[in-house]
Amino acid sequence: MNGLPCRYYDGRTSTPREAEMTITADGNLIVAIDGIENREVHSLADVRIPHRIADTPRHVRLPGGASCEVRDNHALDAMQVRTESGRQPVGRRFERLLHRLDSTWRGAAAALAVTAAILLSFTKWGTPAVARLVVAATPPELEAVIGENLMTLFLQLDVLTPTEVDEGRQAEILRAFYEMKDDTGVEAAVLGFFSSARFGPNAFALPGGTVVITDELVELADNDEEIIAVLAHELGHVAGRHVLRRIAERSSMLVLWTAFTGDVSVAALSVLGPDQLLDQRYSRVAEREADRFAFEYLLGADISPTRLGELLRRLEGTHGAGGVPNWLASHQGADERARNAAEAAERAGGAEAIE
Amino acid sequence: MSGGNTGDGITEDGESRTQRLRFTADGWEYFRIWIVNVALTLLTLGIYSAWAKVRARRYLYGHIWLGDTAFDYTANPVAILRGRILVAFVAVALWFANLFSLWYYYAAIAVLAPLVPWVVIRARTFQLRNSRYRGIAFDFQGRFWDAAVWYPLMAVASFVTFGLAWPFRIFGRDRFLVAESRFGSKRFRFIGEAGPYYGVYIFVWVMTVVLFIGSCIVLVLPSLGSDPESPSPTAAWFLPVFAVLTGLFSFVYIRARLLSYRWSCTQLGDSDFVLQLSFGAMLWLYASNAALIVATFGLFTPFARIRVLRYVVDQFLVMQPLGEVTFEAGEAQRLGATGAEAAGEFGLEIGI
Repeated sequence: MNGLPCRYYDGRTSTPREAEMTITADGNLIVAIDGIENREVHSLADVRIPHRIADTPRHVRLPGGASCEVRDNHALDAMQVRTESGRQPVGRRFERLLHRLDSTWRGAAAALAVTAAILLSFTKWGTPAVARLVVAATPPELEAVIGENLMTLFLQLDVLTPTEVDEGRQAEILRAFYEMKDDTGVEAAVLGFFSSARFGPNAFALPGGTVVITDELVELADNDEEIIAVLAHELGHVAGRHVLRRIAERSSMLVLWTAFTGDVSVAALSVLGPDQLLDQRYSRVAEREADRFAFEYLLGADISPTRLGELLRRLEGTHGAGGVPNWLASHQGADERARNAAEAAERAGGAEAIE
Repeated sequence: MSGGNTGDGITEDGESRTQRLRFTADGWEYFRIWIVNVALTLLTLGIYSAWAKVRARRYLYGHIWLGDTAFDYTANPVAILRGRILVAFVAVALWFANLFSLWYYYAAIAVLAPLVPWVVIRARTFQLRNSRYRGIAFDFQGRFWDAAVWYPLMAVASFVTFGLAWPFRIFGRDRFLVAESRFGSKRFRFIGEAGPYYGVYIFVWVMTVVLFIGSCIVLVLPSLGSDPESPSPTAAWFLPVFAVLTGLFSFVYIRARLLSYRWSCTQLGDSDFVLQLSFGAMLWLYASNAALIVATFGLFTPFARIRVLRYVVDQFLVMQPLGEVTFEAGEAQRLGATGAEAAGEFGLEIGI
């Protein structure tokens, strides 16, 4: 049997010596260095032959720190196969499988399909489930801290400025808000009035339960029922802890993509696209939930759900300065939501007629 | 220098005794290795990640050539897995401590802080001992107190001095990492000084301030004029865009300049190294990589790694090729991977 040409390093000096390597049928590895006279014989059990990776040189480790560098991967594989009788050990079979996978396009395509399937199914079913768990496990106090930090930021950046709504009007709206809180049992909610040139006519809920309504929105509303409708919608966000859920979804996506790319900063970049898609889906679900919450309350309070739709229609297209989109109206077509409101009103009307 | 021509095919013509590192990896080939690694890591809930790391590293090392020999990475995946489990355990413990009480958390931090220098040394040692060239391993022999000075203590000092001590800390850290490294029984030497480190950082600081004032005058002021009551639309996007751009610019500038300087000040035996990274080329690489990673949801990651490595490795010159390097017996010891995992970032960019 012809030996496999390799370079022998004794592990003590960096000078290579030309050598030939042979694996014998009785499980020995013979290295003939600088010709035949200088031979080393090792039992294969003491020798470590590393896995093949693409076509990089392999360093066969001999006992005592010496090694043989083999360039001809194909010949080394063939030599190993020739001397193996019967079933290959599990490790060897796995090594072959790995090499078949990552040296062929079919293998890589299979790996890509598996990866895509795992990422997609986690994004579709995993993230909402994880987010639900995180929301359930997060104490309300911690959620409130997140909300307070956001509020501090808004105030420091002058995005939110002190309200100019007169106190009588504030008291009217607050009274309606407290009534709503009592009826729906959302204890954590607090209402704050602020002026905001940046956000324009808008309302939003922060984690922890602070609902902000801007002076501009109070002004835009035709009547109190419209304002109540908007506040009921925001209360729906508070009841569903929607912002916290979104934060939890985001973090779980980042963790998943870190596993995918192997690096947090690369993951933060590559998750941008999926996160946008998720954001759209998520906000659609959250808005629908909040709308449903609002419709239910409004019907109970003898206010037509169409009030929300009317305000949304008027809000559509209004933007704060600097192109800040209007969250209240932008997530889902205002038209569609107005239609849902009308339907809710009709259904309720029908129910009343039957009674 | 003994044995300048080692008889194994190093081509030296006597005149130019300069060798270039060569990088022969292929982006698509590495992509296949990477995607199989990712699939198996996800399927095994992360356990395979240790094997994946070794496989990817071995591919990259095996494609960095000096003369007619490539580098070799010999880490044991089980050691890496053990390290990762320990790190995960500490992270979970910290998280729980944080959940119960902030005091537990601070107590845990106080207990862990003295371990930082130890982790740094273990990480660097693990990486170097598992990097080989011509059958000879690299090694690291940094001492605990040196690591303690350059890692936690000087970082605190930089914080206290509002960043003024930071360039000195980076200088000291580089000197520590280089001068305690060995190849066989040859020591690396570091002949750099703190001055150039200050030069790089001061340039970045001054440029940031100048650019900020300049772009404020050019972009934001004209749009303010008409109505001082409403915030200008330019002001809304200006700050985040400015922060991202200067962040990228300074990151790349500091990296290109300091990596070049660090390697150009490194010596090993009679050998000198020269690394000249161009800021423009690096900026293009990092910016286009970032854009492509975003556009491909991360699938471009392996290509990005190959592009950066190819550029850096190809710029690398070794003056006076390494002669015969010997290795004193009894130096090789087994070392776990815990440090390497806790502080993976401390690895040298290229495996020498």
